[in-house]
Amino acid sequence: MADRPEREVRRGGRKGRKKVCSFCVDRADYIDYKDIAKLRRFISERGKILPRRVTGTCAYHQRALTVAIKRARHLALLPYTSD
Amino acid sequence: MADGKNLYETVIITTAKIGEEGNTELVDKFKALIAEHGTVQSVDDWGKRRFAYPIQKQNEGYYTLINFESTPDFTAELDRRYQITDGILRTIIVKRDPRHVNPKKAQKPQKAEESNIDVEAIAVEAVEAPAAETASAESAE
Repeated sequence: MADRPEREVRRGGRKGRKKVCSFCVDRADYIDYKDIAKLRRFISERGKILPRRVTGTCAYHQRALTVAIKRARHLALLPYTSD
Repeated sequence: MADGKNLYETVIITTAKIGEEGNTELVDKFKALIAEHGTVQSVDDWGKRRFAYPIQKQNEGYYTLINFESTPDFTAELDRRYQITDGILRTIIVKRDPRHVNPKKAQKPQKAEESNIDVEAIAVEAVEAPAAETASAESAE
């Protein structure tokens, strides 16, 4: 049972490597709204929160991330919008 | 903490108009207020920062973070006092989960390096796993 070619069978569409949730990699249990440098990576140029499909964040951490970004916005650490 | 107390953190943003001394004065007032109803654990003065967007047509303010412990009903009173105090632009009060408080602080300094290493390690694993397949694929080519 050595070879399982499952990986290659990806019907239709584009291929690409599977993204790993960067918070899971860090084993983060709490996303700090004060850590702007980290949060910045998850917002677009216009200040929007990037979707999971772009960043590869898992559902659990995306929910926590969203809250953290919104808190940071309230404190004017991050923009609600830029432009 | 069996006495019904919780850990909180609060950030106060005061207007730059009142100046450095005005800010310290205001923060000291709130430190005293918190100390009356609970215990102040740490105070982190971030100094003057630019805002990401203007608040009340101002572009900068003084940020102060205070970690404290108190009963839950005090946060409502604290918030009320924030609202009626002049010179405060923004505030936030967040409950801290005691499970996250200590490990988070211990990890923080090394976090940046650690994450890099981990990402690489996973990438290596991912490469190694299908290595057998790729080898056979290459020979087929």
